[in-house]
Amino acid sequence: MFFKIAVRNIRAYKKRSIITVILLACTTALLVFATAYMDGSHERMIRSSVEIYPGYVQITHRDFRDSPSLENLIFDAGQVTAALADLPGIAVLTPRYESFVLFAAGNKAVGGMLTGIDPAKEGRVSRLWESRKQGEYLEETDSALVYMGSELARRLKVGVNDEVAFVGTGADYSFSADTLRVKGIFRTGLFDFDNRAAFVAKSYLDRVMGAENYATHFIVLPARPEEAAELAAAIGERLGPEYEAASWRQTMAGLVQAMRVDTIFGYITLGIIFIVIFFVVMIYTMLAVSARLREIGILRAVGTEPGQVWRMLVMESVLLALVSVVAGGLIGGSLAYYFKLHPIVFSGFEEQFKQYGLAMTDMPTAFAPLVIVRDMALMFVLSVAATLYPIHKVNGYRPIEAMHHV
Amino acid sequence: MNSSFLEVKNISKTFQPGRDVQVAALADITLSFNRGEFVVIHGPSGSGKTTLLNIMGGLDSPTSGDVILDGEKVTGVPEKQLSRLRRDHIGFVFQAYNLIPVLTARENIEYVMQLQGRGRLECTNRTQQVAEKLAIDKLLDKLPNQLSGGQQQRVAVARAVASSPKLILADEPTANLDSKSAAGLMDMMQALNEDEGITIIFSSHDPLVIGKAKHSVLLRDGMVASDEFFG
Repeated sequence: MFFKIAVRNIRAYKKRSIITVILLACTTALLVFATAYMDGSHERMIRSSVEIYPGYVQITHRDFRDSPSLENLIFDAGQVTAALADLPGIAVLTPRYESFVLFAAGNKAVGGMLTGIDPAKEGRVSRLWESRKQGEYLEETDSALVYMGSELARRLKVGVNDEVAFVGTGADYSFSADTLRVKGIFRTGLFDFDNRAAFVAKSYLDRVMGAENYATHFIVLPARPEEAAELAAAIGERLGPEYEAASWRQTMAGLVQAMRVDTIFGYITLGIIFIVIFFVVMIYTMLAVSARLREIGILRAVGTEPGQVWRMLVMESVLLALVSVVAGGLIGGSLAYYFKLHPIVFSGFEEQFKQYGLAMTDMPTAFAPLVIVRDMALMFVLSVAATLYPIHKVNGYRPIEAMHHV
Repeated sequence: MNSSFLEVKNISKTFQPGRDVQVAALADITLSFNRGEFVVIHGPSGSGKTTLLNIMGGLDSPTSGDVILDGEKVTGVPEKQLSRLRRDHIGFVFQAYNLIPVLTARENIEYVMQLQGRGRLECTNRTQQVAEKLAIDKLLDKLPNQLSGGQQQRVAVARAVASSPKLILADEPTANLDSKSAAGLMDMMQALNEDEGITIIFSSHDPLVIGKAKHSVLLRDGMVASDEFFG
């Protein structure tokens, strides 16, 4: 009977019901979309910055991150590779040897970083291969062929097939120098990176630098990138105290901090919106139930207990909230799905993103059904909770007061 | 049949419309009603008829005094207990009908019976029986806003009667009706009083209602001016 009255009341007070549903559905859609946008943009930031070059997990000598000197290299890269060969969760493991050198071409000389890589594996752990703009990407057997950043090439005024000389410090502190031919030019969109980075096959650089089987660090691509921290811990345990395995959260602390700040501001904004919505729903419910006080008085007068009236009004509120959050969840979820497939493009903000080391202008949303359901549940609880005080308040009237209420 | 079952003992009710203003609506009212009586409480406007009826039905509380219905206290009890008392023992007929607007006539009549926990079949049969007696059996599927004032009042009477209360309190039930509808309603209520043995107490200043009563209480300025029995 109370359910029937609740449903009839919802239908009878159409205007109020429609306004309530629209208000709550829009808020739910906003929450679902805002969360999807926040999660999606963070995921995009991680992928953009981590996958361009730094990688999800880095393995170094235990002191290398604090003191990146030649004493703190990995001196037995083969042993590290062998030790981790059967560790589950690793999709790709590849060593790098980084060295600061002076590049020269014609009358131009520019400082930069020359890195020896395993071209095939590197193509899977970073965006170097995808970022190729001219020429060719590297191969394992390449000797004295360099793949360099577009800004570096521009400053050196070299193009594909031009020659570039370099001089740097070998692993034994001797001078190491050679002449390279430009095989390809890449552009990631990160100015600093494109301005100083150049790559050669690691087998070649090892020979030139006297660094056979050495590595400054290893890069690991986890089978499940979201479990990078757990994998880093497992690697650290496997390799022992001589090595340090750090996830991107440690190696890119600045980005993590920026995302944290962004999340906090996001939740503060949403929190303010929710507080406003909470009170709007509360005030609106107060007005709506006050307008029906006479009817509530009648119900009470003929013998309906206060608890039964409470149950009936809460039932109305639950039904309206249910319809609203389902509608809002569908709208917000659809938007999240659409913008996951068709990311929002911030064409004018390229420079601002670069300041955070992000080479991107598009922000896809995340589409996670469980997160959407969580947001819907949150909105449901919020909207029902907002009606409890008004219901409690009107239910406190004596029948005669309620019936005579104007 | 004539055992006293509703006692009103020293009831006073004072309203405070302003901070330093007090209005005495009822002053030390003491009355006694027997089971199965057909009573009218009459008097000029503002004499306290409605207030007294509301207090007797547990819709309002007195400033002082007690109301005892069939040995059970109506005053000074928790609201939940009062709701149950009204549901099980008291039927109300209001001047403004006060039907539940979203329920049909049938659902309005069945509502209190369902609160009492009666079975669906019993509710249906009882509703049909009462509706036929009050000549509203053809109107049962209509909503209150599809009924005339007289029809709504008959539905309200049916709702009050159907739950088989010990007492029906009717506050100026004919005030909004034309004389023909009013006479018809009074005849029906008199018949219900005689057939079902329900004690019915009206408040009214309608001579038609006053003329049909067997026990008449005259209120004036919140006090009992006369308490008379007829026939």
